[in-house]
Amino acid sequence: MASFLNVLLQNLISGPATDPFPFGETFTPKRIRGRIVVDPGRCLGCGMCRHVCAAGAIHLQKDSKGWTITIWQDSCCLCRSCVTYCPMNAMSIDPDWHSAHAEEDKFKRIEQHTISYEPCARCGTPMRVMALDKARELYADDADVDPEEIRHLCRSCRQMSDAENSTVCVLRSDINTAQQEGRD
Amino acid sequence: MLDTLLKKTSVRSPWLFRINAGSCNGCDVELATTALIPRYDVERLGCHYTGSPRQADIVLVTGPVTVHMRDYVLRVWNEIPEPKVTVAVGICPISGGVFRDSYSIAGPLSRLVPVDVNVPGCPPRPQAIMEAVVLARSIWLKKLGLEG
Repeated sequence: MASFLNVLLQNLISGPATDPFPFGETFTPKRIRGRIVVDPGRCLGCGMCRHVCAAGAIHLQKDSKGWTITIWQDSCCLCRSCVTYCPMNAMSIDPDWHSAHAEEDKFKRIEQHTISYEPCARCGTPMRVMALDKARELYADDADVDPEEIRHLCRSCRQMSDAENSTVCVLRSDINTAQQEGRD
Repeated sequence: MLDTLLKKTSVRSPWLFRINAGSCNGCDVELATTALIPRYDVERLGCHYTGSPRQADIVLVTGPVTVHMRDYVLRVWNEIPEPKVTVAVGICPISGGVFRDSYSIAGPLSRLVPVDVNVPGCPPRPQAIMEAVVLARSIWLKKLGLEG
């Protein structure tokens, strides 16, 4: 009958259930979708993110020198489609959820990167430098190929270089799939 | 003298009013259900949800302002006495969000009324809404000339 006293006592001891925010710290879940970020070292400018963006928040402007990728955070609905479909895994979600801002900062909340082409180390054609870890992944089986050098070659020069060195350039994921298929 | 007294006493409690301008209810759930529960307790800031626009100081607008809702939103918004602070909650009233450029959208909200605070998200977290209310409160104090 007096079990309510127990609850009463527990409530007295446990203190308030209110989150101290905004006067104190609050918790942030690890996988919360705060805002979208682009890794300018990996972006290839293929436009897949713009194509799949549900809210049309991504703008991509290309010219002969390179391209500019712009994401307007005030239009991004954080659906994570760009993260899923980016072939280079250049998009990611930052857990920073502090999004409240005054009206004058409305168009300042953008994620913008200008990525420029670099001349190919062999033929001088303007090209996009390959990400270093991608080059490492591709040439993991060939110890005599320097990933740092090969990433600065354009596609046709890289094919020529591969043919000269009789290199077999294979994606790790392809090897894994082939092994699995062989096992089955 | 009565004016000063009223200003000084009402500073502690800006009352909130909520307008749903064609929202999907996601932001409304975050606003009315999540930000109002004791866990986030918006009443610590002196804020209180009111049912009448004539008693409100801070107006929280959700939804992309559909063509059908435009006149109703404007009518209710004009009933709120000055000085008022308009808060756009979620990406829809800020930019149109996923509904931007649709034939049935009259927004974004800043095209119709002056907006003071934006809190993007789809929907924003309750803590982010709390931040926006704090920001709106400071803007409201500035408008009253009582910045403390």
